[in-house]
Amino acid sequence: MEFLEFLGNRADDLLEMGLAHAAIVGAAVLIATVIGVALGIATYRTERPREFVLAITGTFLTIPSFALFILLLGPLGLGWPPVLFALVLYGLLPVVRNTITGLREVDPAVIESAQGMGLNRRQRLLRIELPLAWPVVITGVRVTTLVLLGIAAIGAVVNGPGYGEMIFTGLARVGTPVAVNMVLAGTLGVIVLAVLFDLIFYTVQRLTTSRGIR
Amino acid sequence: MSTVTPVGVRDADVVTQTPPAAGRRGWVGYLTMPLILAVVLISLYLYVNGRELDSIEARSLNAAALSTAVGEHVALTAVSTVITLLIAVPLGILLTRPFTRRVRPFIITLLTLGQAVPTISVLVLLAVMFLFLGFQAAIVGLVLYAIIPVLLNTMVGLEQVDENVLEAGRGMGLSRFQVLRRLELPLAVPVILAGVRTALVINVGTATLATYINGGGLGDVIMAGLSTNRVLVQVVGAVLTSVLALLIDYLAGLAENLLQPKGLRSTRS
Repeated sequence: MEFLEFLGNRADDLLEMGLAHAAIVGAAVLIATVIGVALGIATYRTERPREFVLAITGTFLTIPSFALFILLLGPLGLGWPPVLFALVLYGLLPVVRNTITGLREVDPAVIESAQGMGLNRRQRLLRIELPLAWPVVITGVRVTTLVLLGIAAIGAVVNGPGYGEMIFTGLARVGTPVAVNMVLAGTLGVIVLAVLFDLIFYTVQRLTTSRGIR
Repeated sequence: MSTVTPVGVRDADVVTQTPPAAGRRGWVGYLTMPLILAVVLISLYLYVNGRELDSIEARSLNAAALSTAVGEHVALTAVSTVITLLIAVPLGILLTRPFTRRVRPFIITLLTLGQAVPTISVLVLLAVMFLFLGFQAAIVGLVLYAIIPVLLNTMVGLEQVDENVLEAGRGMGLSRFQVLRRLELPLAVPVILAGVRTALVINVGTATLATYINGGGLGDVIMAGLSTNRVLVQVVGAVLTSVLALLIDYLAGLAENLLQPKGLRSTRS
């Protein structure tokens, strides 16, 4: 009951933080998707570059977020720039990996028939391979979004936007009743965003998947 | 629940946190990462050594303080990884038995969404709700967070085992338990090894945040730098954390390659 009261009192704050959290994650996902899909398309055919790109983007994901935010503090300062930059780096791997998986799993027979019908390399990619790989690609984007929502909360250590601020303020007040409310509200906020984003992706996936393979 | 995995996308595509397994590499490939890490550490050492440290910086940046922090960090990572695996792998095996077939898509969706729960929330909730702080609290927090991705990995990996192989086993008169022990588990070894690596990488990262609940580790160094406004201390803490994480990931990758069952090695792409 007390928690609901808290949510009521802080509704404006919570909504504003939610919008900021969604905005920075949304922007990071968009950038990571553009770069990731491009890297995937550029490298999926040749083994060396493909493994190189996967190794590099995998390395980004290994670096602990707290450490990366601090390292970006020098070059990018406080606020959203270091958070956005770090989120893009973290978001690349799932997108690149799923783009490569998706494109490589297209049946060679299908590609051969496309070739036989006279489609050139570009037409094959745009009209055959990408549409067939699309569901896998978009699943990568969806997973990236979920992971980034969680990491964005840690962005509060460099004054990043979003629910992280609520969680860290709660921690600073440990021992007081309001602390539990703040941390719960911040966590719940992130989970609500996760469900909302997932629903959006489900819809986007349905709408953008070629009708033949739905 | 409208967020079930759609047709055409296998559950495997939702696993994120697994670092891609290193492919076949020559000895140059094996040496790249340790070389890079060594160069980073040596340049950091030379840089810090060449600077006049004030008394506040010197308090954090000395061999004793730093090795304590690294030791605590490794302890946090090792203990939490062992507990995570002891819980998540058997649970993953249990949840992929035939009786869960109906609810499995639902479980996987829930676990996928669960990856969005911020690491820091899990740790902080323990602190503010139960006033549970310190090393043990950090272990509980780390395990709670890492279970989700490792469980997801194990389940997805076991599901990938070729159904035909299992049917062949049953056709040969193996009992359900024998199929699990003699076919499914050996075939799932790569998955379990990947799970170990995933758990290590996640825990070494999350352990950085243990400092917020007095759990120790390299996060202490970063925090000391933040609270005293000493950039050098922050950077040393952050670089050491990153190097440790990359080193652990590298070693786990090596182990993954070495421990791979022989019969499965050639099939990896």
